[in-house]
Amino acid sequence: MSEANKVGAVAYLGTFAGLVVLATLSLLLSFLHWKGGGLVVSLAIAVVKAVLVLFFFMHLAEQRFTNRITMLVGLMFVSLLVGLTVADVATRHTFPSRTKPSPGDPFYSR
Amino acid sequence: MRAHSLGEQYADFAQQDHALKLGMWVFLASELLLFAALFALYAAYRTMYGDDFREAIAHNTLAYGTVNMYVLLCSSFTVALSVWAVRQSRRVLAVVLLLSTMALGIAFLVIKLLEYAEHFRERALPGPYFHMAELPTFGANRFFTMYWVMTGVHAFHVTGGVCLLGWLVHRTWSGHYTAAHHTGLELGTMYWHLIDIIWIFLWPILYLA
Repeated sequence: MSEANKVGAVAYLGTFAGLVVLATLSLLLSFLHWKGGGLVVSLAIAVVKAVLVLFFFMHLAEQRFTNRITMLVGLMFVSLLVGLTVADVATRHTFPSRTKPSPGDPFYSR
Repeated sequence: MRAHSLGEQYADFAQQDHALKLGMWVFLASELLLFAALFALYAAYRTMYGDDFREAIAHNTLAYGTVNMYVLLCSSFTVALSVWAVRQSRRVLAVVLLLSTMALGIAFLVIKLLEYAEHFRERALPGPYFHMAELPTFGANRFFTMYWVMTGVHAFHVTGGVCLLGWLVHRTWSGHYTAAHHTGLELGTMYWHLIDIIWIFLWPILYLA
């Protein structure tokens, strides 16, 4: 890797500014209390923020592709684990989908 | 200053640096999987108790979580700049930036403790210790159980990261890292950035939506 290709101070500053703007955008959007897509949008913004940190602050942009593969595979495992767990819980019909104490349950009087 | 040594299994320093960084990325991916299990459990409970989770998030301390988001973003910026400073052979500036990052990390933990104290007062505690009068639902119980576990594991990592930064301050101040050889510093700062990335995902699911 040549010195010219290394992430510089201007790139760090731009990344930081981008992260602050995206965090503020997430915060402002949360005040809309958008029940349907609020979580999806805030997580999509979080993914963009994470990519900025990975590529510029953690220097993935200046490293070989093999290092990027590691994170890519890690993120795929996370997506599979979360996605399949949610799919199981959301589509399960053979067992009660949830347990909830009844109104008279000691849980509420503790 | 100690000379940087080349392991006999490597052809040159570039290959050694690449191997060290690849090893660090694999370690960070394993850390990601640790949190992935918690994210999956959170997602499962949220699927089951969606309305209760949204109510619990509305009751959560948004100000503390948000201030901590900005604190960690600033800390990622200062620690990234410390690598830049070493690459520019500005050792004293690098030490100042690393110390600033440590201060921000400690500020994060102090804010977290203040937040925990507030949750303790309103008895928004995990599992059987949950007795929140305002929100007596089973879903809120699950939410705050996940909240304590996820933020607790994260705070444990922040504490470890602050200690690691202390070690990096010592190594940088003693001149161990040079513009040409500073892989150790880069690996340490990568760990700190991972802490930031985890909070980037915890913040929206625990405080925003």
